[in-house]
Amino acid sequence: MTKTRSRTVGVMLTLCLLLSTSFAQRFGAPRFGGFGASEIPSDWFAPDAQGEFHFARLVYSGWGGGRRRGGSWATDYPDAEYHFTQGLRRLTSIDSARGGKTFRADDDDLFNYPWLYAVEVGRWDISEEDGERLREYLLRGGFLVVDDFHGTYQWAAFLAGIRKVFPDRPIIEIGEGDPLLHVLYDLDQRSQIPGISYVYSGATYQRDGYKPYWRGIYDDEGRLMVAINFNMDLGDAWEHADTPEYPEKMTALAYRFGINYVIYSMTH
Amino acid sequence: MFEFFFKYPLTVFRKGDFVLASGWPLWLLIVLVLGAGGGLAWHLMKHQGWIEGKKPLLVWGMQFGSVALVLFLLWRPAISIQSLRSQQNVVAVVLDTSRSMALGGGEGEGEKTRLQRAWDALDSGVVDELKEKFRVRLYAFAGGLHRLESLEKLPDAGNATRIGESVAAVLRESASLPLGAVVVLSDGADNAAAFDRGLMAEIRKRNVPVHTVGVGREEIPGDLELAEVTVPPRALPNSQLNAQVAIRHSGEEEQTTRLTVRDGSTILASKPITLRRGQNLHSESIDFNAGDAGIRYLQFAVEPVGDEEITGNNSLSRVIDVPRGRRKILYVEGEPRWEYKFIRRAVFKDASVQLVSMLRTSPNKFYRQGVDTPQELEKGFPTTESELFAYDALIIGSVEAGFFTGEQQEMIKQFVNRRGGTLLLLGGRNSLGDGGWGASKVAEVLPIAVSDDSDRTFFREPVEVVLTGQGRDSLVCRFDEDEAKNLEKWKELPAIADYQRVGELKPAAVPLVNARVDGKDIPLLVLQNYGRGKAIVLATGGTWRWKMGLPHDDTRHHVFWQQLLRSLVANSPGPVSISTNRRLYADDPTVKLRAEIRTKEFEFANNATVTALVTPESGDPETVEMHPSTEEAGVYEAQWTAARPGAYRVETTAHQGGEPLGSEVIHFRREDGLAEDFHPAQNRELLERLAEQTGGRYWTLDEIADLPQEIRFSEAGITSREIMDLWDMPFFFLLLLGLRGGEWLLRRRWGVI
Repeated sequence: MTKTRSRTVGVMLTLCLLLSTSFAQRFGAPRFGGFGASEIPSDWFAPDAQGEFHFARLVYSGWGGGRRRGGSWATDYPDAEYHFTQGLRRLTSIDSARGGKTFRADDDDLFNYPWLYAVEVGRWDISEEDGERLREYLLRGGFLVVDDFHGTYQWAAFLAGIRKVFPDRPIIEIGEGDPLLHVLYDLDQRSQIPGISYVYSGATYQRDGYKPYWRGIYDDEGRLMVAINFNMDLGDAWEHADTPEYPEKMTALAYRFGINYVIYSMTH
Repeated sequence: MFEFFFKYPLTVFRKGDFVLASGWPLWLLIVLVLGAGGGLAWHLMKHQGWIEGKKPLLVWGMQFGSVALVLFLLWRPAISIQSLRSQQNVVAVVLDTSRSMALGGGEGEGEKTRLQRAWDALDSGVVDELKEKFRVRLYAFAGGLHRLESLEKLPDAGNATRIGESVAAVLRESASLPLGAVVVLSDGADNAAAFDRGLMAEIRKRNVPVHTVGVGREEIPGDLELAEVTVPPRALPNSQLNAQVAIRHSGEEEQTTRLTVRDGSTILASKPITLRRGQNLHSESIDFNAGDAGIRYLQFAVEPVGDEEITGNNSLSRVIDVPRGRRKILYVEGEPRWEYKFIRRAVFKDASVQLVSMLRTSPNKFYRQGVDTPQELEKGFPTTESELFAYDALIIGSVEAGFFTGEQQEMIKQFVNRRGGTLLLLGGRNSLGDGGWGASKVAEVLPIAVSDDSDRTFFREPVEVVLTGQGRDSLVCRFDEDEAKNLEKWKELPAIADYQRVGELKPAAVPLVNARVDGKDIPLLVLQNYGRGKAIVLATGGTWRWKMGLPHDDTRHHVFWQQLLRSLVANSPGPVSISTNRRLYADDPTVKLRAEIRTKEFEFANNATVTALVTPESGDPETVEMHPSTEEAGVYEAQWTAARPGAYRVETTAHQGGEPLGSEVIHFRREDGLAEDFHPAQNRELLERLAEQTGGRYWTLDEIADLPQEIRFSEAGITSREIMDLWDMPFFFLLLLGLRGGEWLLRRRWGVI
């Protein structure tokens, strides 16, 4: 009986391991096949790509970092950048550089790129020094978009990091009248933008993040410095812009939000 | 001395006509002179041999000169001159009793004041002597003209010296009298600032000689005087201003003092200054902040040096209007970019500038910010002049020229030329050469030539910026009052993100900032005046790095843009533009108002109804009708008397066909008791000019005893022609003696006597 039980447990563990590996291969690491794989032209990420706007991604340390290539900061990378900047070039007058940039918080070059995207911030680990650097970046006029974190636990993890940046500034729900939601597109449709798991599960939420929140941290003049997409995954929506199974409606909405974030950051 | 040799004063020879009074014919004199010359020559030739060489010619010359002179004197040479008839003419003696005449006790002036010395000079017999020949009227002037009955009581000192006005008043008052001459005793410190050509012409028209008697020292050693302070009459709230201050000093030795700008008891700026040796007029520049909206009564002062005798002229007041309300700037941007965001941030809280922007977010969508109403710019860039000209300045960012229609390009040109607005063109991938601006109608306005060839001119490469010489002096580029510190702060700036190559500078262009590209400096910030306005090119869209590349509390990016944007609108005229000939009337009540009136399209409004409501600090307001100028289109003028000292508010309103064109407010101030502290030294140049222009003469106090004799030679009043013989003039006798004595001495030397 004990032997049979032990064998059963072993088979189940093996199956779980195989399933989780398979899932991770499909949805986790970018550029490893699955729905997210796109053919990106080799010159797209040329280091000397020029433009007024560069998609800059924050490189951070975090407890998810060891499991994936590049760490959790690299989730959706580079397909999200590839698709989103193409949309930006096509739908706006912005001179958007091809490709994207990645910066650690302690990189001085970060200050030459006033728009910054951080993904899976429910897993980030921000040091005091990083917090100070990001605070300085934002107070000078930089703009940070955080995305793809879900549920109570990840909110707490995000909060722990963002409090290193702004210990006291309140996190506020972005109101309907905020220019962010109208600067190019009128975004009065507050739909939850799901990750790719929606294709399999049909659930727009992950963990206990049932309800989407658009939150923000503002400066003393009432200008948004940090746009917080909580319980949403814009990155996946950009990454899977050409994935037939992913709802086009969600991708379109994610583009609109992303474009508004960019234009807002260039106007306020 | 002159009179010893020539019997009469120089004036007689200047004013009189030479005549031969014997009545004998002139031809006879000539014949006799020639005959005498021939006879003497014949005599010398007949007796030749006693002297040799050219000596006979010398003897003949001397003998001929003697005979010719005697014959000339026999014909009775004389001066015919008009002179005033005794006791039939009036002579006006006008005494300056202004406060500067109370000075004295200095070097060369003795213990008595100037007024006492002038008084004593008159009382020492001059007036009595004049009374023997003329009817004498005594006047005192200090601000106004007052008749004096006698010389018994010294009049009180007044606040201002108005020589020109006083002499003109004497002439007007004596229009029905046989006025023979005017004598003015003054230090010449005319501070009415109204002794212009018109007044001088009025005095000359009466043809009455004005004799001026100079009183007081012509230089006051060790005295510092604020000769002039130049500040703009209006300023935007909290804008940085620059004042140019001229300080007059003796220049005998190097002196150090301190220049201070005060608003009431608040010190706005203060700096030590060194007055160099050998420079009589020192020019100094000082920056200060205009402060909040309101009226600034600023006091500029230099600290007295040593035991300076006159300190009242060490300070000057100026009035500056800092009007409420924000000036509107229209900013058209062709693409979302960081420069746009950071420019908006720089003036986000600026109370003086309203940045209205339209940003092309996508090819056919515009995002508007800073508009007053939802309708403003709803249909895009203005299509009428009245709509565009409602803005004070226009910024065009990365927008291609083709975005604007031909009519709109012409409007932009006229925005600068006729409206008097400022155009700022920024660099960008759609700007200047890359945006086809070289072939646009606006190209003529720009301070640089714009290349219209196909080569790319915009480069996204970080480059350093360098201040030019003019940039160092410009308020736009001022981070620190200290020039060296300012330069250092510019050097510390991070590289700008991009730059755009521009063509050659136009002749009137002023480069303020250059970009250093591959070791060479190319123009980055250039401006020039065009028509009534100004055009500026800032050939980059990358100054935002000054904000992102420096600590968040560093203000340089914002200060630069605030100063640049304020400079765009600071002097932008409205449809109604009012000015006074001065902002501070020191002991002078005459205020000249000048209004320039334009329509909403900024064409001259020549048939407008223009009124000025003048409201004194205390008292009832008064409405002054302004009348069209006969010389300038669209200009209306009025003259008004500010009866009492204090501050005055002038609100000018213009209507045309019942429609309001606009209004503007200006303030001025009248202060008494100030003017006499300035120009305390004797202004001999003015007194000499007045005398010379009227046929009179400049006298010193030491010479005044001769004045009664000389004053009678005048063509004014009731005159008779007088023949003044010259034959008995000592000069002729000495000449005759010299000729005869000379011949005798020569003969003696030659041994032929």
